[in-house]
Amino acid sequence: MNKYKKATSFLLCIILLLVMLIGCSQQSTSSSDNQASSKQSTSNNDSQKADSKDEQVTIQFWHNYDAGAGQIDVLNQLIAQFESQNPSIKVNPVYLEWSALRSNVVAGATTGMLPDVLRGDIAFVPQFQSLNVLTEMGALPDYNTIASSILEAPNSSAKMGDKFYGIAANTNTKILFYNKKLFEEAGLSVPKTQDEMWNDAKALSKGKVIGFVEAGTGAWNIAQYIWSNGGDLLAPDYSTATGYINSDIAVATIQKLADLYKAKALTGPSLDPGALGDTDGWTAGVYAMEIDGPWRATMAKDANIDIGAAQMPAGTAGSIGVLGGEDFMMFKTSDKAHQEAAWKFIKFMVGKEAQVAMAKVGQIPVNKEALTDSATIEAMPLMPIFSEALKTARPRPVTPKWSDIDNIITTKVAEAITGQKPVKVALDEAAVEIDKLLAQK
Amino acid sequence: MDNNLKNNWRIGVLLLPGLVILGVFTFYPIIKMIVMSFFDWKIGYKQTSSFVGLRNYIDVFSDPIAKTALVNTLYYAVITVPGQIVLGLFVAVLINGIKKFSVTFRLFYYLPVITSWVVVALLFRYIFSNQGLLNYMLTDILKCTDEPIGWLSHRWTALTATTILGIWKGIGWNMVVFLAALQAVPIEYYDAASMDGCGAVKQFFYITLPNIKGSILFALVMLFIGAFNTYTPIMVITGGNPAHQTEVVLTWMYYQTFSAVGKMGYASALSVIVAIIVAIISVVLFKFIKPDNEI
Repeated sequence: MNKYKKATSFLLCIILLLVMLIGCSQQSTSSSDNQASSKQSTSNNDSQKADSKDEQVTIQFWHNYDAGAGQIDVLNQLIAQFESQNPSIKVNPVYLEWSALRSNVVAGATTGMLPDVLRGDIAFVPQFQSLNVLTEMGALPDYNTIASSILEAPNSSAKMGDKFYGIAANTNTKILFYNKKLFEEAGLSVPKTQDEMWNDAKALSKGKVIGFVEAGTGAWNIAQYIWSNGGDLLAPDYSTATGYINSDIAVATIQKLADLYKAKALTGPSLDPGALGDTDGWTAGVYAMEIDGPWRATMAKDANIDIGAAQMPAGTAGSIGVLGGEDFMMFKTSDKAHQEAAWKFIKFMVGKEAQVAMAKVGQIPVNKEALTDSATIEAMPLMPIFSEALKTARPRPVTPKWSDIDNIITTKVAEAITGQKPVKVALDEAAVEIDKLLAQK
Repeated sequence: MDNNLKNNWRIGVLLLPGLVILGVFTFYPIIKMIVMSFFDWKIGYKQTSSFVGLRNYIDVFSDPIAKTALVNTLYYAVITVPGQIVLGLFVAVLINGIKKFSVTFRLFYYLPVITSWVVVALLFRYIFSNQGLLNYMLTDILKCTDEPIGWLSHRWTALTATTILGIWKGIGWNMVVFLAALQAVPIEYYDAASMDGCGAVKQFFYITLPNIKGSILFALVMLFIGAFNTYTPIMVITGGNPAHQTEVVLTWMYYQTFSAVGKMGYASALSVIVAIIVAIISVVLFKFIKPDNEI
């Protein structure tokens, strides 16, 4: 009996101790997390701090440049060039796949294990800013000078409110890609309007062929159709979604997609987990059309598919695509020496030479001089089509809650297209949920 | 007196490392998670979390997708757990009865257990996809249907595909557990029964089953806990799609924390609720199946 009492009381002591520890850490969540994270970042930069004593700074650069397109090779060449021009700076590039880039920053936000520079999707900016990890790059001394040498629209993707939290690295938008062989066999001409495109999709869907593939259902995928028909996702001042995401135009546009899905003329891996992914589908000759970015052309070339490209077919209000691209971002966890080195590296990467080098491997430059450079034009045969599309491409809202709003749109549009709910019902629910979100704080 | 103290001290020291590890890696996370579930827990850099009381729990209960996830998880559990136990027991009884090659059979049945979840889930995804092996057999070989069937396109068929994966992967583990239990049943019982004219089937139900009750209870509890912890098969086969219809509690928790802007408090509340459900199921199972206390 005595032994059991002792063991139980010992156990209780341990549990009490733990609860007290948690309780104490609870009161000073911010300060202890501060200490933990700053300790972490100091130890992270410890080896680098020692370097800075010798005036050697190593910056961590996280990116998702595509190895398949030869972008990693170009990146390594550019880094070598930069390091030879700046002997006191070493750049350590780390490749992370698109979603891993985001989740690693999310995980690193609490621990403070973050890079010095990151080149990531412009859609990450709102989410990263809400995690309170981004440096306000607009406050850097020569930011405005550099910003004036790059295109304004892509750079606006880094602007939240009136502060800049990044700088544009490259831009892109989407155009129509189609399987030339399937079109020839069906005797169809390249569609110029949305209606023509949907009719072609139905006509091409026979046997194992599916006329159109849409890889997702978020704003990146469906905003273009709604915008091209004169509708919108949110009010221009981002104050509400009612009357926009569930307007008649939006409902009619999504209804078209739902009808196509039912007729098996449109599909995608997020709508139907049993469907082929878009790259696999193109290679297998299953998908006939897709509205996608410049990487689709690179993939087609690698897979020996005869792919055609054309302007995204216009809706009733024109051909308005979604602006995509990547931004360079810097982080609060870096100390002064690393931030300076990081900014130097970013300035190099948005300079004309680096932008032209990247243009040769499929990255549309944002540097104004690089865009008109003859080497760029030569390296990107589809440049004229993309330039035209970029003139009218619209950025997605850059508001703090955008990631949450996009998740709601993705879910509700998927429910509408797969037929789980009537389109109007699903979009009305989306409007209600988005408004609730916008009303918080 | 002195001896007693010394003994207790020794016991304490020997227990300490295990208790510390248990404390740090099991108790601390559980308690911290319960605490987190009452906060709007921020995962950002240097961000303070505000106390919100029961709001996270209210959010979970009023969220239709959380309900969907819970129902899906229960479906997965109710199908895979009995499925694995019945098939595992069946295989164990068969292997117990053969003299030759039992090791070979045990090896082959256990192989699926040690394969990587991601690899086999991908394989099953390819088997059940629209252009996959199953549809190929149905449309081209057996000519049962003209059009490929979208197994993974709808909620219940996709979930059933994952349950098939779950059962297939777990049979070996159950077989091992039950083989050990079967070998502990005294042969005299069977001899006595056959002398009294009892057939093989009756022997199974009246002798084998009652004597392995303890193992069955163990397997049931472990498998239910495991079923509530499924993440990989669902994530790889459907990703929770279409439109979150095939989410299970773990995939939904992950989505809430990492895809949305870090609703860690919500995920913690959902964890606590799931933990309570699993605890209730375990208690009910223990009450229902009273294992004999005799060895």
